[in-house]
Amino acid sequence: MVIRRQEENGIELADIEPIEADLLRQVPAVCESGESGRSQERLFSKPADASEAQFLNDWDEYVRPELRHLFLSAKNTFSEDLAQLASGPGKLGRVVVPKAHADAWLNALNQARLILATKFNFTDRELSMHERPKWFSRRDMILQQINFYAEIQERIIGVVMDE
Amino acid sequence: MAETVAETKVETSIGIPWNVVVHDDPVNLMSYVTMVFQRVFGYSKEKAQHHMLEVHYKGRSIVWTGARERAEFYVQQLHGYLLLATLEKVQ
Repeated sequence: MVIRRQEENGIELADIEPIEADLLRQVPAVCESGESGRSQERLFSKPADASEAQFLNDWDEYVRPELRHLFLSAKNTFSEDLAQLASGPGKLGRVVVPKAHADAWLNALNQARLILATKFNFTDRELSMHERPKWFSRRDMILQQINFYAEIQERIIGVVMDE
Repeated sequence: MAETVAETKVETSIGIPWNVVVHDDPVNLMSYVTMVFQRVFGYSKEKAQHHMLEVHYKGRSIVWTGARERAEFYVQQLHGYLLLATLEKVQ
């Protein structure tokens, strides 16, 4: 897969291999799987310690629904953009992400990475390892998936911040 | 007299500065955290990177200090980017 800036339209993801397309298609489902306790705790972390009880209550009542809406909206934008992606055996996919959708992509990919890392209890050290694993357990595959999403984020950030 | 005391207390409470603290997180990318600091606070790339590295190596960084209302706004913005951010009273 190559990721490059398009002058007019935004960011182009081209030559997407079928396996990369599968990983991209999993992002919305991973985001939706974050409804469990620990993932929720990470996505909606506490903004202050317990001494700020009133602030925490207000946060849960007013801010948390806004954040939930933001995360859902990002996931939906990602899904809609991904609908362009048609790939199959011997066919490489292509997606153009409008510049205005770059934040939604970064957010959706971040949700997916946070949820996967939380679910599978990855440590700081594991997440910063980039060497090839000796064998591929499910856990190793998930780590590759997290790093694949990170790589896309890096490229999008490069395009967005290089303006 | 009682009224005066009450007013003074309110004034003191409003005047207390608050810190916006960002905590280390193994998942968020260094480039992503830098980008968020640039966007939310309008920091230069150098200043944003300084805070990002402080988060990475020291576990936390006070990224902004000031009035409570503004601090709450920044914490909300940072949570929108999925960063671990908290509000703390300046000691």
